Amino acid sequence: MRPFDPRVLTVAPQARRPVAVLAAVGVLQGAATVATAFALAALVVAVVDDGGLTGPAAWLAGLLAVRGGLGWAAERVAAWAGVEVTAALRSALLRRWLAVPAEERPDPDRGATLAAQGVSAVEPYAARFLPALVAGAVVPVLAVGALLWVDPLSSLVVVLTLPLLPLFAALIGATTRDETERRWHALSSLAGHFVDVMRGLPTLVGYGRAERQVEVVAEVSRRHRMATMRTLRLAFMSSAALELLASISVAVVAVTVGLRLTHGTVGLETGLLAILLAPEAYWPIRRVGAEFHSAADGAEAVAAVLDELATDSPRASTPAEDVGVRMSGVTYTYPGSASPVLVDLDLEAGPGLTVLTGPSGAGKSTVLELLAGLRTPTRGTVAAGRSHLVSQRPFLPAGSLRDAARLGTGATDDALWEALRRVGLDGVVAGLPRVLDTPLGDDGIGLSAGQRARMAIARATLSTAPVLLVDEPTAHLDDAASELVHDLLGELAERRTVVVVTHRPGLAHRADRHVVVKATGTAVHG
Amino acid sequence: MNATTVVRPTRATVAGGLLGGAATSAGIALTATSGWLVVRAGERPVILTLLTAIVAVRAFGTARPFFRYLERLVSHDAALADLAERRSAVYAALVPLTPARLGRRSRSAVLTGVVDDLTDVVEAQVRVTVPLVSSTLAGLGAAVLAAWFAPAVGVVVSGLLVVLAAGCPLAWWVESRSRDELLAARAETARVGDLVARQAGELRAIGAEETALGWLDDAHATWRAAVRRQSRGRALVAALVLLGTAAATVTAALVVDPAVTGAPVAALLVLVPVAVGEALAPLVDTMRALARAQGSRARLDALLDQQPAVHDPEPSAHHPEHRYTCSANRATGTDAGAARLQHGPAVRLEGASASWTGGPEQLAPTDLDLGSGRQVAVVGPNGSGKSTLLAVLARHLDVARGRHTVDGTDVRDLPLATTRADVAVVDDEPHVFASTLGENLRLARPGATDDDIRRALALAGLGAWTDALPDGLDTRLGSGGRGLSGGERTRLGVARAVLADRPVILLDEPTAHLDHPTAAAVMDDVLDATRGRTVVLVSHRPEATDRLDAVLDLGAPSPGTHQ
Repeated sequence: MRPFDPRVLTVAPQARRPVAVLAAVGVLQGAATVATAFALAALVVAVVDDGGLTGPAAWLAGLLAVRGGLGWAAERVAAWAGVEVTAALRSALLRRWLAVPAEERPDPDRGATLAAQGVSAVEPYAARFLPALVAGAVVPVLAVGALLWVDPLSSLVVVLTLPLLPLFAALIGATTRDETERRWHALSSLAGHFVDVMRGLPTLVGYGRAERQVEVVAEVSRRHRMATMRTLRLAFMSSAALELLASISVAVVAVTVGLRLTHGTVGLETGLLAILLAPEAYWPIRRVGAEFHSAADGAEAVAAVLDELATDSPRASTPAEDVGVRMSGVTYTYPGSASPVLVDLDLEAGPGLTVLTGPSGAGKSTVLELLAGLRTPTRGTVAAGRSHLVSQRPFLPAGSLRDAARLGTGATDDALWEALRRVGLDGVVAGLPRVLDTPLGDDGIGLSAGQRARMAIARATLSTAPVLLVDEPTAHLDDAASELVHDLLGELAERRTVVVVTHRPGLAHRADRHVVVKATGTAVHG
Repeated sequence: MNATTVVRPTRATVAGGLLGGAATSAGIALTATSGWLVVRAGERPVILTLLTAIVAVRAFGTARPFFRYLERLVSHDAALADLAERRSAVYAALVPLTPARLGRRSRSAVLTGVVDDLTDVVEAQVRVTVPLVSSTLAGLGAAVLAAWFAPAVGVVVSGLLVVLAAGCPLAWWVESRSRDELLAARAETARVGDLVARQAGELRAIGAEETALGWLDDAHATWRAAVRRQSRGRALVAALVLLGTAAATVTAALVVDPAVTGAPVAALLVLVPVAVGEALAPLVDTMRALARAQGSRARLDALLDQQPAVHDPEPSAHHPEHRYTCSANRATGTDAGAARLQHGPAVRLEGASASWTGGPEQLAPTDLDLGSGRQVAVVGPNGSGKSTLLAVLARHLDVARGRHTVDGTDVRDLPLATTRADVAVVDDEPHVFASTLGENLRLARPGATDDDIRRALALAGLGAWTDALPDGLDTRLGSGGRGLSGGERTRLGVARAVLADRPVILLDEPTAHLDHPTAAAVMDDVLDATRGRTVVLVSHRPEATDRLDAVLDLGAPSPGTHQ
């Protein structure tokens, strides 16, 4: 896992500005911190020597005020970067998934988890870890540089001891790796147990096993506590060791400075500067380590998103001007399935009504998805114009009825009413208390399956796509409504290429072309 | 809600605070004594006179990591002990509320939310109490010590403490004000992300890609605005703390008089406000943890303070002894179970209506005669009460009006465990536990042998799949184990119901999330596997409902007239 992958800035260009500003504020904060040490040393010297306080005091007050301003800016910029990096990655991810066929998307659960919770973990990564990373890279360099200028000997001590920090961390890590990994596995399964039995609570209640789990939860939590403490003890021990190392290094600087002061080889101000600057070289590095621990989920999510975006897909060549559809020698095998659902299928359709029939499971829906470019054939070629596909479970988003009915088309209310009239829903919608503003729940709560199907057909009539693909439009409709929809499809077929999968013989009779997809996945043209 | 109801100091957290105070004090003392040491050395004394200071610097340098280490051990152990205790308490409290009181949709999301909220509340015990105690201790210690050398500087340090203390309520107010708004905005971005990821194919099908990305942009814009408002407050607090430190340091430099205290002590006194400001600045961050925990606590309380949707009758009302016997028999032997299958309970609903909330009824008065072995499909538009009907039959919910009887007895006179033991529910999201395949099934019937399990898997259409697994029934599933496809998950749920050997099986849109060919194949196997049992099936698929004895249409109320 890389602390920062610069590819983020390529795939998510909106993240560039906040990250650049974040780095700039970090550098300024580092410079201000080092400058404050100078002002503080000057002030202490002025107090001790009873000299004029006004100058140094004004400098210190001014610098601390600047740091206050920078602190303010850092807080704002960190929040900004957190949002922008997260939003840019999520947008890039979903933009891609909306552009590729089904085989190139991860399975829905994994994809949804990455797009929702996964990407959310990027926010603390960008808002907390990245600033720490900038400070870790900038402040030690500035502090050592300043030391080199005022007191080379102290800077030498720091330069010699500073690499011990990562070295020690690596050594501790190496000697405890096996132990840590072994425990980590045990730990994550113990930690996951509670989430697991919580999510499964309805199942456990259903089978009368929930009460028993109360004791199991108590027992597992107790073991989790013990296992966690063993792991933490090690982690805290190594962090204490690193802090001790830093303390001792600062103490070495302090003692050498003290000795040289008593010999008069360095001045008081130099000595003070050395002990004020030395700690600034160590703490930012320790903070990077501490923050990385909590940002690990975010870094992992960044890597996962970049992986998703990295695979370059050959774009399906869809001539947008084409008004017909053509499949030649298409074989399709579902990912993870052993046998193909379609074998060597040929199909050609131009303007007019084409009906696909065949037994359940023969792959009729798959044909439509291939024509719509939602899937890529395993073998063979598909060429089709821009299409609108009405699937068997058409998606109606939560929101107003208007938004659901015109989704993807941007139709006016007038056009919408006309479309609803054509599928015979205008009366129902006009009778609703809030008419087109009536809210629909997730998946269109409150509509019967038949009403949903007709709503989807109405939406299809609003589309300007030259190719219309419809999957079982009348499965949930009574005869009268089916007749209405069949008439409408016939009407649409006068100007467009309409391909319909159906079980109803009524529609097959009025079709210009009739294709039977056989159980073997091959086609017979009628 | 005030802070004390969320954060209760315990002996362990206060101990952590004391250790933390020692660590913080050592840090402040390290900076101050280093200053003293350097200035004293600058006066070029005999080296021996510096020895005490050198020892002190080393001691403080060593003490800080040492005490910090102890503090972290003590406070983390306290948090984990607290977590363990609260987890089992919350779990026990949730059992009677499950499933009817967990909301009607995405129950597993509600339950995951409980886990997160509980963690927030527990973490606050440590992340609020420990820094509060340790900062107070270290701050007061520094003020008293400064006052010992120079009362004026003592006053200055106290002034700084007052500024920091005032920053806390301000930070708390900033966090509390933006908390709910921000939480809602974050949840909305996750919801839209989840939706678009799941529906990517459907959205492409209708050319709605740009609209969907527009939803995402809207959600991000709302979130961005909420974060901006919150960060404005946070930035102000961060700047105030630094300005307070600046004012205190300059004032200390002005009031300190080296002629009175001596030069080294004067240096020490000028450095103290800087050290105090740096050491105590994280204190305002604790207010974030507090504000968050208060929100989490409020959500937990709202969930757990609900009354269960169903009640066990008083023990005296447990009259039908024979039902206990039946259940016991079924659990012990397959023969008794088989007999029971042929004489499953006669379930009847007469004018039964039900409500999830006690308010408007989601199920209008309904009659249903479910004799042993009868298989009924339930259809009707979304919102017509199909799932509510299943909840009543599963005794997740009691009827509001009308009667629900089993073998002629009103179910409210029967023990909950007994009536529920007759029924197995298969829904569209069976949970797969992080355990072996065998254990995932055995939870449905603890005494089941491996052969019983294999038989149930085969009936659910997972026979060949099980045989192909390298570790067979010992294959680990769930998080960290083998992933299951949607169809395999549904079949696993069916296999559980078959193994449980319960006479009544309720199928709540088991194939809702599956693509068409998989759904058809799964549904076929489901109906084969449940042959001979009483089945109530809710499904949108006509080819599935065709195979059953009867269809119950819950009617088609005009859309939008109900909530």
